[in-house]
Amino acid sequence: MINYLIRKELLQIRRNGFLPKLVVVFPIVIMCVMPWVMNMEVKNIGVCIVDTDRNTESQRLVHRLEASNCFVFKGQQPTYEAALAEVEHGKADVILEIRNGKYLIAANAVNGTKGAMGSAYLSQIVATQTPVPSAKTTPTAETLILYNKHQSYKLFMIPALLAIVMMMLTGFLPTLNIVGEKEAGTIEQINVTPVSKRTFILAKLIPYWGMALFVVTVCLLLAWGIYGITPAGSLLLVYILAMLLAVFFSSFGLVVSNYSDTMQQAILVMWFFVVCIMLLSGLFTPTRSMPTWAYMTTYINPMHYFIDAIRTVFIRGGDFATIAHEVYALLAIGLLMALWAVQSYKKNS
Amino acid sequence: MQAIEVNHISKSYGRVQALQDVSFSVGKGEVFGLIGPDGAGKSTLFRMLCTLLLPDEGTLSVDGFDTVRQMKEIRQRIGYMPGRFSLYEDLTVEENLIFFATLYGTTVEAGYDSVRTIYSQIERFKDRKAGALSGGMKQKLALCCALIHSPSILFLDEPTTGVDPVSRMELWETLLSLKERNITIVASTPYLDEVRRCERVAFLDYGKIRGIGTSEVILEKFKDVFNPPGIDKETSDSSRQAEQNVIEVEHLVKAFGTFRAVDDISFSVKRGEIFGFLGANGAGKTTAMHMLTGLNQPTSGTGRVAGYDIRTEYEQIKRHIGYMSQRFSLYEDLTVSENIELFAGIYGMDDRKIRTKREELLRRLKFEEHKDDLVSSLPLGWKQKLAFSVSIFHEPDVVFLDEPTGGVDPSTRRQFWELIYDAAARGITIFVTTHYMDEAEYCDRVSIMVDGKIAAIGTPNELKQRFQLPDMNHVFTYLARQAKRSEQ
Amino acid sequence: MKQFYSFVIKETRHILRDKRTMLILFGMPVVLMLLFGFAITNDVKNVRTIIVAPYLSPQAQLAVERLSASEYFTITATVPATRDAEQLIRRQQADIAIVFTHQHQNIQIVTDGTDPNMAQQWTNYAQQVIMNPSTTLINTKMLYNPQMKSAYNFVPAIMGMLLMLICAMMTSISVVREKEKGTMEVLLASPVRPLTVILAKAVPYLVMAICILVTILLMARHVLGVPLAGSLFWIIIVSIIYITLALSLGLLISNIAQTQMTALLLSAMVLIMPVVMLSGMLFPLESMPQVLQCVATIIPPRYYIEAMRKLMIMGVGIHEVSREVSVLTIMTALLLTVALAKFKKRLE
Repeated sequence: MINYLIRKELLQIRRNGFLPKLVVVFPIVIMCVMPWVMNMEVKNIGVCIVDTDRNTESQRLVHRLEASNCFVFKGQQPTYEAALAEVEHGKADVILEIRNGKYLIAANAVNGTKGAMGSAYLSQIVATQTPVPSAKTTPTAETLILYNKHQSYKLFMIPALLAIVMMMLTGFLPTLNIVGEKEAGTIEQINVTPVSKRTFILAKLIPYWGMALFVVTVCLLLAWGIYGITPAGSLLLVYILAMLLAVFFSSFGLVVSNYSDTMQQAILVMWFFVVCIMLLSGLFTPTRSMPTWAYMTTYINPMHYFIDAIRTVFIRGGDFATIAHEVYALLAIGLLMALWAVQSYKKNS
Repeated sequence: MQAIEVNHISKSYGRVQALQDVSFSVGKGEVFGLIGPDGAGKSTLFRMLCTLLLPDEGTLSVDGFDTVRQMKEIRQRIGYMPGRFSLYEDLTVEENLIFFATLYGTTVEAGYDSVRTIYSQIERFKDRKAGALSGGMKQKLALCCALIHSPSILFLDEPTTGVDPVSRMELWETLLSLKERNITIVASTPYLDEVRRCERVAFLDYGKIRGIGTSEVILEKFKDVFNPPGIDKETSDSSRQAEQNVIEVEHLVKAFGTFRAVDDISFSVKRGEIFGFLGANGAGKTTAMHMLTGLNQPTSGTGRVAGYDIRTEYEQIKRHIGYMSQRFSLYEDLTVSENIELFAGIYGMDDRKIRTKREELLRRLKFEEHKDDLVSSLPLGWKQKLAFSVSIFHEPDVVFLDEPTGGVDPSTRRQFWELIYDAAARGITIFVTTHYMDEAEYCDRVSIMVDGKIAAIGTPNELKQRFQLPDMNHVFTYLARQAKRSEQ
Repeated sequence: MKQFYSFVIKETRHILRDKRTMLILFGMPVVLMLLFGFAITNDVKNVRTIIVAPYLSPQAQLAVERLSASEYFTITATVPATRDAEQLIRRQQADIAIVFTHQHQNIQIVTDGTDPNMAQQWTNYAQQVIMNPSTTLINTKMLYNPQMKSAYNFVPAIMGMLLMLICAMMTSISVVREKEKGTMEVLLASPVRPLTVILAKAVPYLVMAICILVTILLMARHVLGVPLAGSLFWIIIVSIIYITLALSLGLLISNIAQTQMTALLLSAMVLIMPVVMLSGMLFPLESMPQVLQCVATIIPPRYYIEAMRKLMIMGVGIHEVSREVSVLTIMTALLLTVALAKFKKRLE
């Protein structure tokens, strides 16, 4: 009988004027726009120069600054205070003061990353220009960057986007599902039929897994077509990981749906959890930098396992052995959640 | 000056013509009925009179004001109760009433007289949330909210759907008493006894006025629509009733806290019987039905349905019953045949059998042309017939029907009961709740619940004889008036 | 006036009765503040480091000691060849490898470049730690946020996002719910002026938004230690302008949407996504392509967040943010007018 229930779910999704469009358009929009948006590259930092020495040094500096795509030269100011006013106006981000052959870099650090990166880049430029007298004792260091050779933020973000799209579609749509049936009253009709809890929940989950498969394919094709980015590792592993994530999120959505009385409640609760899961997963910031208590939560955060594993496969080109631990963890959490979804669905009170 | 004047109005939604060249007028202080089948355009007309919709053509005036230009004046003079439940479910009964009183610039105390008869019945629940009330009580509350400010014109769109006969009668007495204050009332209703209380009625069908006149004239003129011939109970009772009990209930109790919604009921129903389960709003009918269908666990007592214990074997019970709930219970976004297939599939019927039976059912219901229509596009009466057919598609032992004909017009109701007789003839036991007392007469046996207990049980004839009353309506009224819960 | 008052009471009851939603609405700011304040950082910390040294010269020995002494790096393994290090990095057991070659004059730093920014910062830090460079010539100073806490950056962003979410989404849903349940029909048919209905809906959410604003500000000041450098008066005034704007947006959505589902999806997808993505709260606007930067100019929270960063963190006077405030005011006036004009006094 499960095939009839699955068919019903699919028909309902198709009949809903909005959902099919959403499933197709959402991944496309996200993949087309977001890689440009989610770009933490530090670019176009406005630099203001205060040169009290007034020699050719600053002239050459300005030329170098304009040559780099990192900085935009925002003009010279006579005093440090005048330059600070520029920063307060939001016209400049960094002040470079040259006084008696010494340099002072003052960066607006309201955005910590931008401030740190900006001042680091600027000091590199200044340092290469001025010969360091003590160079003879220090060894030279060269840097080798692995995997993401071109330092492309897009390559870093595409697996994350895949995760976000999956989370939005396979997480939020099931959340609205059961609570929707509750509000429409049809759930009562199902409850008096001999359909078992397991069958009912499974029939609700399977369409979303199919949807996940479709969405992953669309995302991968777009990443390849638009940005020329393809997974460094095996495609099969990417699919396996994505499906495991879909199992978790669709089950989680149903759990929330089972406990909610109205759609608004369901969405808000889901949104709350999704934001926490996402922020604590290492999607945007490294988990290692977290304090211990926050780091502990990553052990039960499926998104953390997913994002670690998918980046290993997608960017670092890892094989199954390198991500086995994550796969098992995801599988366990996903199954647990699916069981909970079955358990929390009440056929009678 | 007339209270309401409607001149040649038309209205269409896209390609659907809801109203076509409708004209009539209503005098001051008149009780005017709007009758006609579901989808005839009654609700559209009400909304236009309340300035909520604009007509495509024609003009309407209410109390001398034009509905298009003088919206503000009209809105100050009218009371409106829309067709569907329209209160705040998360506010308590009292909060709802106070809110609506303030909305119309009056207070509950000032308007109490006009709602006393109805409100006194629900006042004991005044701290309960409106969403937790039973269907009929919600309707009563909505009426109170529309009446509280004594408007000069009152628009009631099917105000008594789901309300029990006693309360309906009280309600109409209240309405007619408003007439003394020269209040004009426009109401729509599917109940014939209510139609008879109107001074004049307009019969609306497919967006057109088919006739206007006194209720007697209209009911006589369109007799075949409103008063279809009764159903012959030709199947001999003896052949069906010799067999075993399908439902057996002993000392069943369901308590919510200290409130005993179902208070120690015992009865049994035989195979193939049509059992009418009657009772006033809030008497505990739906709760009892939920226990029998395994949606709810009893607090104490025992019961068996189709041979299975309702406490422990409720999942097995579900294989052998059909259920059709108060709320419409098919998937509105699936087509007719998809709904049939879904529910047949759920009960584990095989594909070929489903296909042949589906064709047969569609033929019998004359739905062949509509099999690929979305259920949401069907008129209410059709939906209910379909829902019933689907609930007995898998040939269950018993089918539970919870107010299956609420808000359905008389001729469709008659067709519905033909389906019920059909099913009973095939040996399916019918367990039905209803507020139509003519339907109670159709049942083999009825029970009447009062305050969570069964006050009387027997064949309609037995009951009429026992209480020396002419019809079921009187029997019901007599018993329901003995309810004490409201005085606690 | 009495009608208005009783309306406000009714709305407040709707909000208070839904305990779970209330919990989320007030729990969200607290949890977000805590997460952003303590958990979400870009700091270079506990970077798992591998030493690749077939032979450790005394000089290299010194460098290794310096690395392990610093709080930035944790040395997890010492392996003989670069290939082994690479293997460990691929397995996500290390982030960076320091290779000491035979010439022991040259050091190679091998990093996991998956996250370009972090890779850049790790190498910068590693170079500084190993070489202990005599940067006497260059001094660096971090303005406004000397410890470079990310909370400084995120507090205004959280305010921008949450106020928008609560005001726009919740108001739109509460209007649409009345349409869906049929109560709007009764309200419209009553003598109450439509303007009263709308304003009464907005008031409880306005109050709630202000409560949340105060919670955020108190937490920012006392829990996260973010200084409220600017004038509190102006912070509140600008916030109220922004809240009004969000309420107007909510009303506009409720005019378009017919079902709660649509209202939810409209506010979640069409409203919140651009707010989070294009307002500069998470991702710098300067790095985006020109097209997106143009789109971003019509995203209201962008101006609010910008103004709050300046007012709260940098502590500048109101005249420094006059551009942002005037843009916000104009937008508010525009949206409010449209929302009120578009409010439907009849059904469709």
